[in-house]
Amino acid sequence: MKLRIVTLFVVAVLVAAACGSSRKTSSSTAPGGNTTGPGGTSKVVDTSKCPAGNDSVGVNGNTITIGTSLPESGVYGAFIAIEQGERAFFQYQNAAGGVEIAGKRYQINLVDKDDQYIASKTVTNVQSLIDDSKVFALFNTVGTKNNLAIRNLVDTQCVPDLLIASGAVQWGNTQYPWMLGSELVPYPLEMRAFVDYLKQKKPNATIALLKASDDFGQSYQEALEAMVKGTGLKIVQTQSYDSEGATVAPQVTSLAATHADAFVIGAALLACPAALNAMGAAGWHPITYMSGTCVSKLLFSAGGKNSDNVISVTPLLDPADPANASSPAMQLYKAQMKKYQPKADPTDGIVAYGWSTGALFAHILESSPAATRSAVMETARTLKAASGVGLQLPGSAWSTSASDWFLGEDFRLIQYSVSGAHTNPIGPLIDDSGKTAALSPTSLLHS
Amino acid sequence: MSLFLTQLMNGIGNGAVYASLALALVLIFRSTGILNFAQGEMALYSTYLVWFFTARNFPVWIAILIAMAISFVGGALIERVVIRPVERASPLVLVIVTIGMFLALNSITQVQFGADAKQLPRAYPGKTWLPGNVQISADTLVLVGVLVAECVLLYLLLQRTRLGLAVRSVASNPESSQLLGIPVGTMLMLGWALAAALGALAGALAIPASQPALSGASMQSILVFSFAAAALGGFDSTLGAVVGGLIVGVAESLTTQYIHPLHDIVLVVPFGLILLVLLVRPSGLFGTRRVERV
Amino acid sequence: MPRTQRAIVGLVCAVVVVALLAALPHHYGRTNTFLWAQALYIGIAAMGLNLLTGYNGQVSIGHGAFFGIGAYTTALLMQQHGWQFLPTLLVAAPLCFVVGIAIGFPALRVKGLYLALVTLGLAVVFPDLTKHYVHVTGGTNLVSLDSQRLVPPAWVPTSVSAIGRDDQWAYYVTLACTIVLFTVLVLLVRGRFGRSLIAVRDHEAAAQTAGINVAFVKVLAFALSALYAGVAGSCSVLILTQASADKVQTFQLSIEFLVAVVIGGTATVVGPLLGGALVVFVQNAISNTLPKHVSSTGMVGRVVANPAASPAIFGILLILFVFVLPDGLAGGARRLRSSGRARFGRARPAPAPT
Repeated sequence: MKLRIVTLFVVAVLVAAACGSSRKTSSSTAPGGNTTGPGGTSKVVDTSKCPAGNDSVGVNGNTITIGTSLPESGVYGAFIAIEQGERAFFQYQNAAGGVEIAGKRYQINLVDKDDQYIASKTVTNVQSLIDDSKVFALFNTVGTKNNLAIRNLVDTQCVPDLLIASGAVQWGNTQYPWMLGSELVPYPLEMRAFVDYLKQKKPNATIALLKASDDFGQSYQEALEAMVKGTGLKIVQTQSYDSEGATVAPQVTSLAATHADAFVIGAALLACPAALNAMGAAGWHPITYMSGTCVSKLLFSAGGKNSDNVISVTPLLDPADPANASSPAMQLYKAQMKKYQPKADPTDGIVAYGWSTGALFAHILESSPAATRSAVMETARTLKAASGVGLQLPGSAWSTSASDWFLGEDFRLIQYSVSGAHTNPIGPLIDDSGKTAALSPTSLLHS
Repeated sequence: MSLFLTQLMNGIGNGAVYASLALALVLIFRSTGILNFAQGEMALYSTYLVWFFTARNFPVWIAILIAMAISFVGGALIERVVIRPVERASPLVLVIVTIGMFLALNSITQVQFGADAKQLPRAYPGKTWLPGNVQISADTLVLVGVLVAECVLLYLLLQRTRLGLAVRSVASNPESSQLLGIPVGTMLMLGWALAAALGALAGALAIPASQPALSGASMQSILVFSFAAAALGGFDSTLGAVVGGLIVGVAESLTTQYIHPLHDIVLVVPFGLILLVLLVRPSGLFGTRRVERV
Repeated sequence: MPRTQRAIVGLVCAVVVVALLAALPHHYGRTNTFLWAQALYIGIAAMGLNLLTGYNGQVSIGHGAFFGIGAYTTALLMQQHGWQFLPTLLVAAPLCFVVGIAIGFPALRVKGLYLALVTLGLAVVFPDLTKHYVHVTGGTNLVSLDSQRLVPPAWVPTSVSAIGRDDQWAYYVTLACTIVLFTVLVLLVRGRFGRSLIAVRDHEAAAQTAGINVAFVKVLAFALSALYAGVAGSCSVLILTQASADKVQTFQLSIEFLVAVVIGGTATVVGPLLGGALVVFVQNAISNTLPKHVSSTGMVGRVVANPAASPAIFGILLILFVFVLPDGLAGGARRLRSSGRARFGRARPAPAPT
């Protein structure tokens, strides 16, 4: 009996062996690389410890292969809308001749892998993207924990992890120069903008806070607490909710009982409209702020009439706002989405985000002096006032520098209108360049 | 005090949702002895059907009725096609089959209807009353009402009709029932069909009342609480499912309000309760004790 | 076959399998080596769960939690306290064993599906506990290991056949754990304890009458299975370079262990290892080899090319598998063999009476 079973196992081993690729990977990890930039200047990104000979991996002829990992199936499968937006942009760009780096034109090949939002799967996906797909860089990989899980991997392999789809402050950790967040507004800046707004509207307001019970919620809480210090504003109650749990209604009921003047929703995904609905049911009508991660057509409309006048932030033009319809960038976006990804809903902000982030990636590549990982990463780290990228707000300039590790620091406060089913900008463009790090919880930034 | 009562109402509303799904679980467990991991996802699919028809301008109640009818047939088909071939296999194989259905149904729903969350209209106006500062919403009333209606319907069907008698007879002793000429297979199909239709109703009313939108994740957290409810009440007791559901729901909302350290680990409460109850009564609060013969 | 002859054949086969597995990473790149290592650690957890579920009849859908305890223990000791991997096993394994005892005791009172539900509770509560108490990488409940922590210890030869490469080191460590735990398992189930496990599963009251300490056997089975899951979790840290937990993940792992047990073959020693390999490779094949973004005509093509369909494909394959082989790969092989023997036996002339 045992013989047969063992034979079976051996057969299984061999079959699997035949299916797999029999490639030996080089194990040489001799230190090398250059420490000076193309112009001989000192660099933000230290490449002295990078493995030798992998600076131009992923560039083959006139094709640059990049990789992304995001939830495409399972309970977070809706994130695939981001991928539709970014893919449409690259299809459009490739058809238009591709990106031009140092006088040569390249086509962009985007390889996507599904991680179901599970951090350990992101690790295996990214290992495979680096080793098998030989990607040049990672692009817009979704999730805070998912990117933290690959932090050491990209750092030792010197693979750019560019435009991470998360507004977390952890990308400002200067020990890890190979990671850069996308144009999403860093969470603490949202609190800064809202507190400024509140100081004008109602200087003695009481505030109730609902936050996710993780680092995401902590970013809102610590920034809010720091910002209200020394003002007439006061946080009267904070409630946290389990981001994988069933309901936020009991928490919001408890907050509503404080009758606070303002309500800050530091929540994500469907917990945002759930909080709005519970607020409405309690007959509580505070000045409400909702996380910028919840700015999407669906989440606003899921809040029904309770979404009216809800305040948030955005770094991009709202594709649902008819006032933006005449913008050439918007017209281009809508036409190309229709052409390349007809199944996607172009009026959804999450698709527009994918498109704009694709455009920002192309902008970084085109600003780079060479098609190498170190040059591109250096360019991304020292980005000079990128404007007119994708659906970027007019007048906004995205920049980074040796002392400023955050990109999405230009944004506007917006207010949702139920009758118009879109957001309206309130107040002028906010330029918080260089202000994120000081507002970030140190326990998140330096660990 | 008003806050306590409001949280109590919150808990009862959520508890009614858990109880509705727990009822479907109990129905299947009683008729086939299976712990149906796919119950939540069956209800999810049915609820997407409701969305599908409302999006094509069917009135909500009509859409619910159509979805219930389709689910009834679907439930019977699942029993016939997926469960019947393995009904004599070990319970473990059945667990694997329902887990396979759990994975498949969730994914099929997303492939067929799209991965983005959907807005499901309420079947009634969503109002809230505030008598003496206690918050009572139409949602809570409807959820409790539906739960009561389900219990009454099930009771009438199972205890007051010949068909119900046959279903119960098959559940308690399939072999003797066979000898008595009861079509055992048909009765088992009927059990699954009823549970599926019940799940459709529960999903169509519970999701707009307790969640802002319908998504692939809608049922999973509810299912965990429903399992807790069914275990607490005793897996073979319909009354147990109802009481268990309400206890779990109320415990959840009162914990959030009053036990601050457990804020973000609320799940400890229902499962702690289960453990306590099972230690005292290993078959749940209302479950039948099994006597083992040596 | 006489007993000694069978033992020799078994031993030879074991040596061949081990030799093949040991040679494997030299023919593969990192990704495949990691995949094989993953198959091994899922197999380890499944071996332990098989002890509990297959041999002892206690169903658990919460062993992802023990896996998590092992993973967190190893990851925290390595990252926060600079330990080498192997010594962490000396902490992680006993810790899981003890937690297993603590949970095994109340489990004594709870039977069948009720036990399954209590263990499900374990799987959904564990991630919340880690979020509450663990704040490491970037202040989250993730414990990501710095690359220098993953470097094999100094005594590992770096020159010989690149065993010192981190992926190979991870693979060989997992392989060694698998071999040790497999041997322990074989000794356990072939001995008195194994017979007690089965006796308790088949008829608890009768086992009691026969002088078996039922409570001891059941709690020990629980604790041992927890230990196996914990060691699997520890090994996973080297491969995934991190420990983390959330509900979807812990539940998914718990299910994968159970699936590996059932499709491999309950109450068989090799089954769970086969099942573990199948679970890992089939899922990998579904999500990585199916075409994506093809503008395929035909409904089937369009559905299969939709990444959201991959869990459906796995779920349907799972159901079809248990339809065809309800007793798993090992059980199917056993049936094949006995039917072959029956035919073979008939063909042979009856032995002359002596």
